[in-house]
Amino acid sequence: MKLYQVALKEIIRRKIRVMYTSLGVIIGVTTIVAILTIALAGQIKINDELNKYGPNLMVTPAISDISMSLGGLSMGTLAVGENYIQDNVLPKVRQITDDLIRKGFKDRGIPFEDVGNIATIAPRLYTNADINGKKVIVVGIDPAEERKLRIWWNIAQGKYIEKEDEALLGTHAFGALKLNVGDTLLIGKKELTVIGVLEETASIDDYQIFIPLKTAQVAFGKEGSISTIDIRALCNACPVEDVARGINNEVAGVRAVAVKQIASAEMGMMEKTNNFLLVLAGITMIVGCLGVINTMMTSIHERVREIGIMKASGASQGQLIQVFLFEAIAIGVIGGIIGYIVGTIAAYIIGPLIFKGIVIRFVLEYLPISLVLAILASIFASIYPSFRASRIKIADAFRTL
Amino acid sequence: MILEAKNVSKIYGDGTAKVFALDNISLQVNEGDYIAVMGPSGSGKTTLLNVLGGLDRPTKGEIILDGMRIDNLNENALVNIRRGKIAYVFQEYHLIPSLTALENVMLPLIFSGSPDGTQKQRAIEMLGKVGLSRRANHKPTELSGGEQQRVSVARALVNNPTLILADEPTGNLDYNSGLEIQRLFDQLNEEGHTILMVTHDPEKASHAKRLILFKDGKIVEDKNQDDKK
Repeated sequence: MKLYQVALKEIIRRKIRVMYTSLGVIIGVTTIVAILTIALAGQIKINDELNKYGPNLMVTPAISDISMSLGGLSMGTLAVGENYIQDNVLPKVRQITDDLIRKGFKDRGIPFEDVGNIATIAPRLYTNADINGKKVIVVGIDPAEERKLRIWWNIAQGKYIEKEDEALLGTHAFGALKLNVGDTLLIGKKELTVIGVLEETASIDDYQIFIPLKTAQVAFGKEGSISTIDIRALCNACPVEDVARGINNEVAGVRAVAVKQIASAEMGMMEKTNNFLLVLAGITMIVGCLGVINTMMTSIHERVREIGIMKASGASQGQLIQVFLFEAIAIGVIGGIIGYIVGTIAAYIIGPLIFKGIVIRFVLEYLPISLVLAILASIFASIYPSFRASRIKIADAFRTL
Repeated sequence: MILEAKNVSKIYGDGTAKVFALDNISLQVNEGDYIAVMGPSGSGKTTLLNVLGGLDRPTKGEIILDGMRIDNLNENALVNIRRGKIAYVFQEYHLIPSLTALENVMLPLIFSGSPDGTQKQRAIEMLGKVGLSRRANHKPTELSGGEQQRVSVARALVNNPTLILADEPTGNLDYNSGLEIQRLFDQLNEEGHTILMVTHDPEKASHAKRLILFKDGKIVEDKNQDDKK
């Protein structure tokens, strides 16, 4: 018979108490497994959330340096100058962007759903127009792409643009023009219906009128022209600068600029979220360990007689510590397995409450991680109590009875 | 002479609350001795046994076992004394409840690192000696008090100790079981084991060859009673 068999028999006899001691480890492991499982399933959902930051890449017409050298006056000329991008570059811009994003995901080994268009590409045409005697900026947009990009747009009245002859108004433009939803609006040579009004966005959008791109091009005689392209690239995985460089190299007449502020903020947000969750899990584990230390101390107090018997039978301090470490390992194994199971179940319950529509999958790889973590934690928690136990004097052990 | 106590005192508390559990005791135990220590409750008998056996430290004085001082040894050195030189039998048997009778007897051999085969063989032999071969695979809760005490005697014998210290070994037993244990001790002494036993039962004490009367932490009388045997 070996020492660990003696320890095992004692553990089996005291199974309820051992389970109770495991509780601290179970709680710690449960939290960690639940957080990791939800975080993994939430990666894609977090990408979606990050889309709220808007475009992270702007494409504008290329402006030659020569104009700049003309001096201060010409700067003003540049600002109101008629500089446009030809809209036949759009397919090429899309292809370059999507290819580079795919490459970015592939290079980093991140799985993603490669279905249809990946990036959101929203062209805009800006023009000035006189409406009811007031000067207003009219913006031609691709309604579908624009909607994906400007997630924060909410409709206050009416509905969103669906047809070619419909117009969407910013809240202040709507107020200034004294119109109602359903009224007819004459823009250039075109008659449009006021189909909806945006809620206040606290941005320039509030003062503008949005109409479909094609309609705007025809109305102002600017067929084939666009002013800017806003691009939303999924850039958690791909450096958005790469996409900008790719467009600048391959498309003539445009200048693509990465909005670095947004790109780095996105990276930072992912990192902060992960760090926060790990710190939370770490604190839970520490609290769990304190619980284990506490119950271990109580358990040793209850077993002072057994400790006395073992010492009187010739057990050394090292052997007694071994017996307690065997118990710690048993507690770790129980805590690791139960913690993994409960944590996974918790993820299935809590996950959908945090990210709507999330699909949780159990991650078998977390089981060995949980076991190792739980065993290390319970050994750590047992060091001091077992050291104390090994120093109990035999005479004292029997006297307390 | 295998054990000697020289001017040993054990004092609990300090100042005016000082209690002399042992008051300047000197004692010699020779090989083959069969000593009964008798005295009223609280006279310090158990303290004497604990101090002699290295379970507790004396406040003053020296304990010498086989020519070596043991009162000032650290825990690690005392482990070696418990693994062969001194064995204990307690009033409450002190068996591990999760282990069978056989496993309880094996316990000292597990700690001293004997090979598996030897452990079992030796433990079976010792259980046979105390007449419990048939109960080897029973847990302590399935054994009577007398049987449990016989297991604890077998456990004490398993490392072939120089000295057996027994603290009221029959104190928890009914008359017949007590008598059986008493006869077991008589037999062990006849086989050459040195035994020091604490008791408050004059009848049990009368079995011993030497009687020490103890009172208020002092030896009142130390006499041979070979004639009575």
